[in-house]
Amino acid sequence: MYATTYHKPRTLAEAVALYESSDEPTYLSGGHTLIPTLKNRLAAPQHLIDLRAIPELSGIAVTSDTVVIGAATKHAAVAASKEVKAAIPALAGLAGSIGDVQVRHMGTIGGSTANNDPAADYPSAVLSLNAILHTDRREIPADEYFQGLYTTALEPGEILVRLEFRIPDIAGYAKFRNPASRYAMAAAFVSKHRDGHVRVAITGAGNEGVFRWTEAEERLTENLTAKALDGLAIDPSRMMGDMHAPADYRAHLVTVMARRAVQNLGGTHIV
Amino acid sequence: MTSSLKTAATEVIVHPLKLPGSPSAELSPEMKLVREALFKHVGKPIPRKEDGRLITGKGRFSDDFSLPGQTYAAIVRSPYPHARILGIDKTEALASPGVLLVLTGEDVLADGLADIPHNPVPSTNFDMKLRAKDGSKAFTGPHYLLPADKARHVGEAVAIVVAETAAEAADGAEKVFVDWRELPYVTDTAKAAEPGAPTIWDEVPDNVFIDTTFGDREGTDAAFAQADHVVKAEFHIHRVTAVTMEPRASLGHYDPETKRYTLYAGSGGAVRQKNELSKVLGIEPKDIRVLSFDVGGNFGARNRVYVEFGLVLWASRKLGRPVKYTATRSEAFLTDYQGRDLVTKVELALRKDGKFLAMRADNLSNVGGRAVSLSPLSKGSGLITGSYDIPYATLRARAVFSNTMCTQAYRSSGRPEVTYAIERMVELAADQLGFDKLELRRMNLIPPSAMPYTNAVGSVYDSGEYEKNMDRALEISEWASFDARKAEAAKRGKLLGRGFANYVESSIGTPKERAEIEIKDDGNIEVVIGTQPSGQGHETSFAQVVADMIQVPVEKVWIVLGDTDIVSVGGGSHSGRSMRHAGTVMAMASADLLGEGRKRAAELLGSAADQIDFEGGVFKLRNTNRTIDIFELGRRTRTTHGALRVVKDNEMHTPVYPNGAAVCEVEVDRDTGHVQIVRYATIDDVGRCINPLIVHGQTHGGIAQGVGQAMWELCAIDPTSGQPLSGSLMDYGMPRSDNMPSFKCEIAEVISPTNPLGIKAGGEGGTTPALATVVNAVVDALLEFGVKDIQMPVTPANVWRAMNNGRKVS
Repeated sequence: MYATTYHKPRTLAEAVALYESSDEPTYLSGGHTLIPTLKNRLAAPQHLIDLRAIPELSGIAVTSDTVVIGAATKHAAVAASKEVKAAIPALAGLAGSIGDVQVRHMGTIGGSTANNDPAADYPSAVLSLNAILHTDRREIPADEYFQGLYTTALEPGEILVRLEFRIPDIAGYAKFRNPASRYAMAAAFVSKHRDGHVRVAITGAGNEGVFRWTEAEERLTENLTAKALDGLAIDPSRMMGDMHAPADYRAHLVTVMARRAVQNLGGTHIV
Repeated sequence: MTSSLKTAATEVIVHPLKLPGSPSAELSPEMKLVREALFKHVGKPIPRKEDGRLITGKGRFSDDFSLPGQTYAAIVRSPYPHARILGIDKTEALASPGVLLVLTGEDVLADGLADIPHNPVPSTNFDMKLRAKDGSKAFTGPHYLLPADKARHVGEAVAIVVAETAAEAADGAEKVFVDWRELPYVTDTAKAAEPGAPTIWDEVPDNVFIDTTFGDREGTDAAFAQADHVVKAEFHIHRVTAVTMEPRASLGHYDPETKRYTLYAGSGGAVRQKNELSKVLGIEPKDIRVLSFDVGGNFGARNRVYVEFGLVLWASRKLGRPVKYTATRSEAFLTDYQGRDLVTKVELALRKDGKFLAMRADNLSNVGGRAVSLSPLSKGSGLITGSYDIPYATLRARAVFSNTMCTQAYRSSGRPEVTYAIERMVELAADQLGFDKLELRRMNLIPPSAMPYTNAVGSVYDSGEYEKNMDRALEISEWASFDARKAEAAKRGKLLGRGFANYVESSIGTPKERAEIEIKDDGNIEVVIGTQPSGQGHETSFAQVVADMIQVPVEKVWIVLGDTDIVSVGGGSHSGRSMRHAGTVMAMASADLLGEGRKRAAELLGSAADQIDFEGGVFKLRNTNRTIDIFELGRRTRTTHGALRVVKDNEMHTPVYPNGAAVCEVEVDRDTGHVQIVRYATIDDVGRCINPLIVHGQTHGGIAQGVGQAMWELCAIDPTSGQPLSGSLMDYGMPRSDNMPSFKCEIAEVISPTNPLGIKAGGEGGTTPALATVVNAVVDALLEFGVKDIQMPVTPANVWRAMNNGRKVS
């Protein structure tokens, strides 16, 4: 790790001011991507601004229509929340399937969503549930938020404050994990919204990060059964490929995970 | 069949078990005491004495040590698989804040440091003798602390930077500029041995530096000519790495006053490190002290000297301050000595009824950029025929350089590789020729009546009841009720498969060991021994042996190891040698100690030694009530006779052959190719078992390590760049508690006739058959897809691919 200066602001204004007045600053939340990157000397921010002590970024609030989660909320808290489990059990299940116990007690929903790792879990829920991302300066709909690998609509210095999920009729999450890293190698979050539309978001597989599988959405909106997906394939040229899963295998896994998510609506299926 | 080893060696060595009518030379008369011992503690599952210390953070691992005025080292490593060093510019690094010293390969030569005397060719009487193609001594590639000519693999150390802090050393390392000229490279095992491959060492233009043929070639050819069937196959037992929990670390200190070096570095045996490093530095062994206390995992990777160990000593002398180096996990993945990497082509000749007639094997071992150890090739060479009576065999054993990290003996060196080959061959033969897989094995197993049995390449198996192992493994795994379980799994959409493998392995190891035992005044017994545990529980199992002999509670016996100022001789821990060598020499030392005690007791009690009995730790004058306990005796005779203490040396060359069988059941997800092991059972004949609790623990770890290789682990290299792809736990898959089943393990004790305690070895037996057992099970599960073989590791992607290819064919 290169030398860096650590800051822990207590207010949003303080955090933004620090960011704007510093050379090469970066925000820090759970640190699960950033800290290993720093330790390997692959990044060299001069200032680390820890967002976790800012009150607006914490807390879970559930109404009859929405689940709102502060960006600094840890995966373990989402997984254990009775309110989240009752409202969107697949979301709580997803949180409980991230990494391991240690990771879930450090990693945060905002950190994961702001980082937009193509193999992260949360982006699939954010996109499938059509969440609204509240920042320190605006609201961003999920469809406009994800913009490719590790790329989001967040502007430099913009802070993701909380995530507002619409409670769907029902949702399911299925994940197939990388045998080494345990990140998603392909995962599908399927949700049926109250207006009857089904949204299918795929993570871990696409070469542009999380994406909506619109062909699957059309079929499932008509008929929300695994059978409705029969014969539907996804183009391997849209997939990532690596030593663990070549693109054609990932394309296959996407179809299997989409089916399993539908078969497990109201919960999760994690392998 | 002759009893001499059929090796390329000129000398003929007659195996002690094959000498007509003569008892083993290693059964000395005083060892009768051992034979007659009560075995009070031996054989009991005593919980490990060391665990309390280790789980409360009181372990003493290498990086736990620090010295006043200590500095920190960072290593500059090659980013290329093969590149010439045209020059190294230290200027900017030396100007970097805190940097004190930068050393390169040119400095190594200027200071006259010698290369590390790895002595890679195994050399006990019963090791297979490996030579160059023309029969001469092989060129193995000198291993200097830093190379001056070129880097031969990604990650090779080319400079050391020492600074006031670890961060400053890392900063300095980034400012060392190496002028590289990239060279053509080869990393693949088979390709490295092909004509026209890039040359790693000018001395061996074709990279193949070992090429020895063993066995009876004419006999083999004749048997093949008469055979009804010949089955052929080729396997690559791929490369893996140990991933020890504790990364390697070293702290070197040179004291200009005493002109002595001290090294804190965890390893597989401090004595070897001392001896070899003294040669590197050009000093007497007495001028270096090596301390190796708790070691967080070895598995073979720590048995050989690492360049960083020599570098911190040398740098400390240059600087006059202690120098510390601790590897990062990334450095461990790149530059820990790696394991396996054998390509084997096998042919099996069978008679119409299934009897094995002969075997040919062509084994090619990838040693990496230089030869650190040929143990994997050598060990495997002696065992190619496995547990089966195959009258004729010919083996061509070759070793090749490549642009990869060096390989070393890795848990059960060489044996999982050849076990994989023979046990996969048996399955392929059964499938191709229509035999039942188990019946074909039974028909060809070596019967107990044939023991000691000389196999077709000259290894003498000491003892074992192979078919009994097989029966028991099948029984405890409930092999017979498999069909019902398969039907149940099918209802859940899962493919159930079962795999079986027999194994026999060898334990040879460094032949010499010394034990020192002293009766201390405080009522404890101190035992000094030169093995090095890294989780094996020696502090408990060794204490059990001594407690048994001296007839005292096991709590009173303390094992001292890991400091070469105290432990002067010691072969270290490898090849499953520790319990057999240490156990034997400790028992012999105990016998001597009791002999000395008897003499002193006789003097005190005014009688002759033959009138003194010994029981329960107490000497007693026969037919009287006059007694003295051994600790009191020690105290009362210390001033007149000195400490009640003995030193005993022992040397044993005769190998032992642990053996057993393993069964595995896997569930394969037909949609994803995911493999889950649902059942795993083993029988291991370890000879005499000193502590079954510890042996079971060793077996469990051994299974996980073998299963890990079969299922996930792979040191992958990108063929288009020569760069390692699995450089972290993000890409290197490991066995974990959630992907392993609960094991059913039993120990079989067929006492070995080769050593007084009858010990074979434990711990490696878990690993040896695991690769074959898992793959046999996966292939069995994929039967309906027409899959006959699959390359390890059987990752979901590989299994899916195999199913898909099968689907296309059918």
